[in-house]
Amino acid sequence: MTSATSTAVLPGSKMRRSGMRFDDRRKLFLLALALPAVVYIAVIALWPLAQGIAYSFFEYNLLRRGGSKTFVGLQNYVDLLTDKTGQRALINTFVFTIGAVVFQFVLGLGLALLLWRDSRFNRICLAFLLIPVTITPLVVGLIFRALLAVDYGYFGYYLAEWGITSPRGLLAGTTTALPTLIFVDIWEWTPLVALILLAGLKALPSDILEAAAADGATAWQRFRLVILPLLLPTVFLALVLRMMDAFRVFDSIFVTTGGGPADATNSLMVYGVKQGLQFFNIGYASAIANVSILCIALMAAGFTLLIRRADVKANEQ
Amino acid sequence: MSSMTTTAALPRAALPARRVTALQRRIRIERTALVLILLVYMIPVLWLVATAYKPPKDMFSSPPAFLFEPTLLNFRRVFEVFDVWQLLKSSLVISIGSAALSLLLGVPAGYALARSRWRYAIGVAYLFLAVRTVPIIATLLPFYLMMRDIGLLGTWWAVILINTTLNCAFVTWMMFSYFRSLPKDMEEAALTDGCTLWGAFWRVALPTVTPGIIASALFCVMFSWNDFLVAMFLTNSDSKPLSVALLAAFGTKDITWGTLGALAHFSTVPIMLMALFLNRYFVQGLTKGVH
Repeated sequence: MTSATSTAVLPGSKMRRSGMRFDDRRKLFLLALALPAVVYIAVIALWPLAQGIAYSFFEYNLLRRGGSKTFVGLQNYVDLLTDKTGQRALINTFVFTIGAVVFQFVLGLGLALLLWRDSRFNRICLAFLLIPVTITPLVVGLIFRALLAVDYGYFGYYLAEWGITSPRGLLAGTTTALPTLIFVDIWEWTPLVALILLAGLKALPSDILEAAAADGATAWQRFRLVILPLLLPTVFLALVLRMMDAFRVFDSIFVTTGGGPADATNSLMVYGVKQGLQFFNIGYASAIANVSILCIALMAAGFTLLIRRADVKANEQ
Repeated sequence: MSSMTTTAALPRAALPARRVTALQRRIRIERTALVLILLVYMIPVLWLVATAYKPPKDMFSSPPAFLFEPTLLNFRRVFEVFDVWQLLKSSLVISIGSAALSLLLGVPAGYALARSRWRYAIGVAYLFLAVRTVPIIATLLPFYLMMRDIGLLGTWWAVILINTTLNCAFVTWMMFSYFRSLPKDMEEAALTDGCTLWGAFWRVALPTVTPGIIASALFCVMFSWNDFLVAMFLTNSDSKPLSVALLAAFGTKDITWGTLGALAHFSTVPIMLMALFLNRYFVQGLTKGVH
C-alpha cells in the first residue's frame, strides 16, 4: 500500500498515543477490513479456478483408473473444438446469447420508454413486471415445460392441435427447441433490461431533452439524435450484463430439455455440468468451463471499451 | 403532442386546453398498452398459481381444462410426500447463512476499497466484480473435490461456502460503489473530533448506506434461495433445499403438476413477496449493483 498524499490535519494526541503515524494506522485499519474478503475469495474462488485451469491439461476422470491424472496438453481443448457435441454446444451458446439479448434489448427499450413517465401507475406496473425476475429459474423452466406439453399444456395442446407445431411439441423438435428456450429467456429477463434502461433514461439531463423539444424535433428525431446517444453507455451496460448471464445459461435448459433433442439445445454450461458432475470427466469439463470464462472475459472487455468510448462521446455533447 | 417532459414539467393551467387532452390521450394509450403487456406477461405466473389449486382429476385432461373447482388437495399431498418444513429450513439456513457471511465479509471490504488511496484499490474492486461473472461450473468441480477431502460434502456448510464466493464478490462491489458515492467529509470530521477509525466506519459511514445493505442482503438471499445446481451436487437427502426437492420431484410418477405447483409456491412466493415489499431496494440492487 503506497500512498503519497497525506491526510487532513489531525490532532497530535492521537499520533502520540499509538506511536504510529495516523496515515499508517488508517492503512492498516483498511487492510484489516479488506483482508478477510480478499483471503476468502482467494481460497474459495481463485484457488479452485487455478486448479480448474491446471486440470484442463490432464486426462482426469474420477471414475476411470482410480482417478489418476495423465498430462495431455491441449488435447481437451482440441477435443472440445473438434468433437461434434462440443462444437454444437459452442454454437448453441452463441446463438442463444445473441438471440436472447437482441430481443431483450429491443423489447426492454420499448418497455422502458413506456414506463419513462414517472407516475404511481408506472411504478406499480414495474413492480409487477419484475415478478419473472424473482421466480426461481428452475420453476420458470418447469412452468414453460408444462404450458408447452402437447397433451395437457394450455399452449402446447392447441399449438399442436391446430397444426402450428409438430405433434410432439416445440421443445421436442430439433429446430424449434432452441428458439423456444430463447423465448423463455426473453420472457424472464426483458423486465430487467427495461429496468436498467429506465434507470438510464431517468438520469438523462432534462435541459437537453427540453431544448430538443423546444427546437421542434419530432419524437423519432429526439429519440435517435438526442436520447439514444446519451443512453448508449447504459445500453452497453445492459447488453454486457445480459450477455454474460445468458452465456452461462443452465437452469432453464437443464429442466426443460436437458440439452436435447439430439444436442439441439446443449449449451456450454449444460455440457460442462454433464461431463464434470455426471461423468466425472474433470479434465474435459474444466476445459469447457475455461473456454466459457474466456468467451465471457472477451465479451466483457469488448463492451467495457465500448462503454468507455460512449461515455466520452456522451460527455462531449 | 410533441414532448412529454416539457408538458409534464409545466403547470397545467398554463397550457392550451388542446395540448392537455393530447397528453391525456397519450397517457391513456400508454397505460392501455402497459396493462395489456402486463396481462400477457402474467399468464405463466397465473398458471403456476392456478395449477396448484386444480383438482388432480383435471390435471392431465386433454384438451386442458380452463375451469375447475379450486381445491387444497395438492397442498395436503405436498405435506404427505415431502418434509416441507425440513426443506424450508434447509433453504432458509443456506440463504440466510450465505447472506450473513457475505455481508460480514463484503461490507467492510467494500468500505476499505472505497476509502483506500492505494492506486490499485479500484483494480481489486474490479477483480471482485469479475469473480461474480465466472460460470459456477468452473469453480464447482475443484470445490467439490475440496469439500470431499475435508469432509464437508453433503452439509449446509459446503453450499453456504461456495454461494458466499459469488455473493461476497457481489456485496463487495455493490458496497464499494455505495461508499464511493458517499462524501468523506463526515468521517473526516468525526476523526478530527476524536472518533476512532472503527467508529468512523461503524457509527458514521455505515448508517448512511443502509439501503445498500438491505439491497445486498436481498440479492444474496435471492441468489442462494433460487440456486439448485450447486445444492444439487453438494447436499444429500437430509440437507437438500426446496429447489433440489422440486427438481427431484419432477418426473416422478406419483407427483402431479398440481403437487409440483403447490411445492413451487413455497419456493417462489417468499422471494416474490420480498421483492414486492422491498421493491425500492430490489430496484436499487438491480440497477446499482450491476454498474
